[in-house]
Amino acid sequence: MREALRAALLRGRNRPRNLGAGSPTIFRGDGLEFAELREYVAGDDPRRIDWAATARAGALQTRVVLEDVALTLAGILDDSGSMRVGRKRPLGEAAHQALAGWFQIAASDDRCVRVTGDGLVAPPGMRGERSALVCANAPSRTPTNVPEALALASAVLPRGTALLVISDFLDCTDAHRALLTALGTRLDCTALVAQDPWEADLPLRGFVTMRDAETGRTERFFFSPRARRRFQRAARERAAATMHRFHAAGWRCEGLDEADGARALSRAFGLR
Amino acid sequence: MNFAEPWWLLAAAAFALGVGLLLRFFLRREAAEALLYSDLAFMRGAIGSARVPWRILGAALVAGAFALGASLARPHVALRLPAKDGYAMLCVDTSGSMASQDVSPSRSAASKAAARAFAKAVPAGTRVGIIAFSTNAELVQPLTADAQAVSDAIERIPDPNGATAIGDALALAAQQLPNRGRRVVVLITDGENNRGVDPLEVAKFLGAHHVPVYTIGIGTNDSGTLIPGTSEEAGLDEDALRSIADSSGGAYAKAADAVALRDALGRLGRTTVMELRPVDASLATACAGGVLVLGAVLAALGAGRFP
Repeated sequence: MREALRAALLRGRNRPRNLGAGSPTIFRGDGLEFAELREYVAGDDPRRIDWAATARAGALQTRVVLEDVALTLAGILDDSGSMRVGRKRPLGEAAHQALAGWFQIAASDDRCVRVTGDGLVAPPGMRGERSALVCANAPSRTPTNVPEALALASAVLPRGTALLVISDFLDCTDAHRALLTALGTRLDCTALVAQDPWEADLPLRGFVTMRDAETGRTERFFFSPRARRRFQRAARERAAATMHRFHAAGWRCEGLDEADGARALSRAFGLR
Repeated sequence: MNFAEPWWLLAAAAFALGVGLLLRFFLRREAAEALLYSDLAFMRGAIGSARVPWRILGAALVAGAFALGASLARPHVALRLPAKDGYAMLCVDTSGSMASQDVSPSRSAASKAAARAFAKAVPAGTRVGIIAFSTNAELVQPLTADAQAVSDAIERIPDPNGATAIGDALALAAQQLPNRGRRVVVLITDGENNRGVDPLEVAKFLGAHHVPVYTIGIGTNDSGTLIPGTSEEAGLDEDALRSIADSSGGAYAKAADAVALRDALGRLGRTTVMELRPVDASLATACAGGVLVLGAVLAALGAGRFP
């Protein structure tokens, strides 16, 4: 699984992708391993144009090479109160599991970085598994504010970094679209969207007291069949809007499974 | 507010406290069993239910319980009600100076209109009498509860003529008023006493017997208007009227025009023959408590079901 994810990251970073505005771009490395020859698209580095192939084909051809530099893996984990929800276990546990799986991708020369509510955790001089271990278990005294963490990541992470963000993204709105697009353009971004299990299935009847996971405030609701339908429709629409926001910004996006965080990560990369 | 059996208040407080503690226990138990959800604001918006002010409903329930208990303490409140034995003696100046036209159409006509306003405004059952005074004081209408008789009597008030005997009018009023009950004298005059007994002495006497004299000064001082048929300027002795009112426990008001005079008399009619009476509020308190409890319970049952 680890190798498959790493290979997917390497492949993904060297493949041109259509971003929100429809302008193709590629993440290129300075490696020598030839990957493919393809037609030039606007934005390609002119130094990569294969003039011999261009002469043969009659149109500009670009040489795509695999990057042979080490990966930089970055992770942002939402540890706010809203991640404590869950029916069998808290979503936060699945999120930790996914983050641990993410940093396990790190090979010997790869660097790991974690963005927390306290700031950046980048173990100096450490690479590979040691760096991954520190980042996966980095404590955060301040709950992570996801939009702020994304802004920090956008400012400090080097181009081409593979970024995983695990959150319910309740505070990521359309106002953050530009930030998501900027990240999606510069980095190889993956989002695991945690959805409250009550939104998938709401078997509640009559008066039920609910507690807000963020604020701790309790409120009483009356769940009629009509109220349940309305709630589930609104939840579906919100989840779809969140997914669409990330896809449009050029991110990989998948729902976080309450039962198995690692499986959600695999699904995000199209692995079974 | 007074309570005839105040020890019931302790029982009411204990009852309300019990209701409050029981409510708190249930709410805490419910809160402890609350289901965790990530975003209640979203849930509320999606379901479309309004936020229920549970604290207010709880407070209403406790207050209602206390009111129900407190009604057993037989609360009495002091309300300002029309006096059962209210007497008002209206003394209207008909001296020559009242023919002055500095108040439209004349002081005399304006004071008659104001007397009608007073008679109309007094609570039903109040006995009203009318005294007209100029050189002498004359009883136009003895005290009566018959509004029509009072209205007719106002029409019989003589036209302005003669001197001004305020003291005599007040003395006649003192004779006519009974010894007990809520009694007031309303004096409409321009205040320039020039005949009979000293009005201040009579006012003090009335004050000593808890009969306030409300004086209404009609007219203006510097209008330059002459008293018809004389070369004398129409005036208004405000100081004298203020002294009469003050020495009897009443109040003085000036009316420079007919509208102000009518308003002042109407206001006096509504307020002077009122008294503070203790009223048993047990039933009202029990009803208020019942409404609070029922309202809180119904609101709690219906909360969330309706948007």
